[in-house]
Amino acid sequence: MALTLLRGIRTPTLFRTNVGLFCTARHPPLAHFTTRAGGMQTTEPKAAPKSIQQATKEAAEHKTRGFEAVIGIETHVQLSTITKAFCSCPYNYGSQPNSTVCPTCMGHPGTLPVLNAKVVDCAVKLGLALNCEISMTSKFDRKQYFYPDLPKGYQISQFDIPIAEKGYLDLDLPVEFGGGHRRFGITRVHMEEDAGKLLHSESGSYSQVDLNRAGVPLLEIVSEPDMRTGIEAAEYGAEIQRLVRYLGVGNGNMQEGSLRCDVNVSVRPIGQPEFGTKVEVKNMNSFSEISRAIDYEISRQILLHKESQADQIVQETRLWDESSQKTFTMRKKEGLADYRYFPEPDLPEVVLTSEYIDEIRNSMPELPEAKRRRYENMGLSMQDVIFLANDDNVAHFFDATLERGADAKLAANWIMGDITAYLKNEKLSIDEIKLTPLELSELIASIKNGTINGKIGKEILVELIAKGGTVKSVIEEKDLVQIADPAAIEAIVDQVLADNPKQLEQYRAGKTKLQGFFAGQVMKASKGKASPVLLNKILAEKLKGNQ
Amino acid sequence: MLSAAASGIPRLRWAAPPRHTLARTQWLLLSSSPTRTPAPAAAGPGGLEPPDLPRLAKSARISLSPEEAEEFSPKIQQVVDWFGQLQAVDLECIEPSLRAGTAAGSSLREDRPEPFANRDAIIEALPSYDDPYIKVPRVLNKE
Repeated sequence: MALTLLRGIRTPTLFRTNVGLFCTARHPPLAHFTTRAGGMQTTEPKAAPKSIQQATKEAAEHKTRGFEAVIGIETHVQLSTITKAFCSCPYNYGSQPNSTVCPTCMGHPGTLPVLNAKVVDCAVKLGLALNCEISMTSKFDRKQYFYPDLPKGYQISQFDIPIAEKGYLDLDLPVEFGGGHRRFGITRVHMEEDAGKLLHSESGSYSQVDLNRAGVPLLEIVSEPDMRTGIEAAEYGAEIQRLVRYLGVGNGNMQEGSLRCDVNVSVRPIGQPEFGTKVEVKNMNSFSEISRAIDYEISRQILLHKESQADQIVQETRLWDESSQKTFTMRKKEGLADYRYFPEPDLPEVVLTSEYIDEIRNSMPELPEAKRRRYENMGLSMQDVIFLANDDNVAHFFDATLERGADAKLAANWIMGDITAYLKNEKLSIDEIKLTPLELSELIASIKNGTINGKIGKEILVELIAKGGTVKSVIEEKDLVQIADPAAIEAIVDQVLADNPKQLEQYRAGKTKLQGFFAGQVMKASKGKASPVLLNKILAEKLKGNQ
Repeated sequence: MLSAAASGIPRLRWAAPPRHTLARTQWLLLSSSPTRTPAPAAAGPGGLEPPDLPRLAKSARISLSPEEAEEFSPKIQQVVDWFGQLQAVDLECIEPSLRAGTAAGSSLREDRPEPFANRDAIIEALPSYDDPYIKVPRVLNKE
C-alpha cells in the first residue's frame, strides 16, 4: 500500500484510536492533530513513532486549540525524458559522475540552448491533469544566482508567464485518517532545468560537483496555501506522485530526488485573516516524513505563539532531521533574494496551438480522481477505491479483470488480499507476475459457479501467480473440482465420525465446539475439495445424532 | 551590466501608453529595481536613475576598487542612457510581443540523445578536478 504513513497503517490499534481525532480535522479551519513536539520533550527521539503519536495525541490536540496552520507546497518533478531540457545529453540516474555533460549544460561560452519538445508535452499533460489553464504563449527567463552546482550562473526557468496556471487537484484522504474529499488549488506549473549535485568531501575542506543532473528538465508545481495538516500535505504530494506516474512524465521517486517537496508552513490564531510568518521546510524523503515534519513544525510554531514568543518565528529555511524527528534552522532568509529575472534571450517563446493541446488531452489516460469516482460508483468501499486507484498498474489489472466479466467486489478482494500479500512477500509488482486478469476472472467465475471452493481457489491462485497457466488446466491436472454431491460428502462425514468416536462422544456430551474439528477432518479427507456449504449442513445434521 | 539592462527594459515599455495591459504589467514584474516608479513623463535620456555600482558589482560577484567603480560608473551610465534613448521610439502601432525576434515555427528539438564526443576536452578545461568530481571551494549546507 503506497499510501502515506505506512507505519501508521500497519498498526491497526493506532488508527482506530486516531479515527476520532482525524475526523475533527475534516472541517478545514481547525487542525486538531499534531504529533511529536510535545512528546519529544519527554520521550527519547528514537522511540517508536507510534507510541509517541499516541502519547502526545491529547497534548497535541490541546495545543493546537485556537490556532490553525496554513501550508503550501512547491513540488519539483523530474521528467523522465531521455535527454536534458536544452541539450542532447542523455540523462540516467546513477551514471558515472560528470559523464553525461556537454558544453551547453556546462555553461560554456558560445553555446545555445534548444528546448526538448518532450518537455513541453510533459508540461501540458501535467498542466491539464491539474485542471490548469494552459498558456498558448509562454516564455523562459533567467533566474540568476551563484552556486557551484549551477554552471551558467543562472537557471533557465519561467517567471512571469508559466506554461500552466490556476488549476486544482482533487483527492481522497485515507479512511484511516478520517477520510474525506479535498480540493487544493494549484497556482502554477512551470518548466525549468535542474542544477547539478553538490557533495561535501569527507574532510570538509572542499566540495565536489557532479553536473550530470545539470540541465535535466523539471516541472515545478506551486500549490495554493490550501492545506491545513501534515496528512493533507502528504496526501497532496502522494496524489502528485500518482499523477506523474499515471501520465508517465516521471518516475516520481522521492529517494532518488525525482520528486521533491518543499513545504511552507505558517500558523495563525483562528479568525485572523493574515497569514503568520512562513517557514520553509525541506529534506523530507517520503510522504510520511512530510506529514511528520509539518506536524512537528506546526507544534513548534504554536508553542512559540502560546509562550508569547511569536516573534521568534522568522522567515527561514529549516531542514527536517529524520533521526531526531525535528526541524532545524538551515539558513535565515536575508530579505527577498534578488534573482534579477529577465527574459532568456537565447530561447524563443513557447507557442502552442489548440490542436496540439487537444491532441495531448486525447492521449491522456484516465486519471486517479476519475478512477476513484468510477470505482466508487461501482459500489466499492472507499478503502478499496483508494487502494485500487493508488497504483496505475494495479488499477489496470483490476479494470482488465472486470472487462473479462468478473464481479467488482470479488476482484477487488482477490487483488487486495491474496495477490497483494503475495506481491509484498516476493517484492514484486502486479505486472511482474504470471497471473493474467483473464485467469483471475476465470478463477472468480469457477468459485461462483461452484466448480471449486474458495479454499482451493486460493491454492490455484498461488500456482497461477508463480507458474502461470490456466485455471482450467490446474483444476484438471490436480483434480480439484469441488465435491458437490451430497451423497459423496455424507460418506466422508460418516467415515470421519466413525474414525473419531471419542470426539463424537464429547460433542454429544455438550462440547459443541468440536464441530470445527470435524469440519476440518472432513475437509482434509476430501483433500479440500468438499463444498463447505454442503459439508457444514450435512455434518451438523449428522452430529445432532440423526443416525 | 545585464542587471542594468534588465531594469532598463521594462521602463522602455512605459513610453507608449499601455494597450496590452496583461503583457505590460507582467513585463513590469521583471524589474527587480526596488525604486521602480511608473512615471512615463520622466522617461527620456537621463530620466533613468543612475546605476548603483557597488550593488551591481556585488550581484555579479565582481570586486571593484573605489577607483575602478569611479571609472566604470560613467560607462555604465552611458549604457543606461542608451536604453533611455530607446524610450523615445514610437511603439504606438507595434503589436506587443513576449519576446524579441521570435521566429514562429518549430524551434524544438526531438528527445533523441547525442552524447557529447569530446568529454575529455571538457574535463581538461576544468580549473580543478578530483576524478570523477569537479572540485570547488567548500560550500556549507548547514550553519
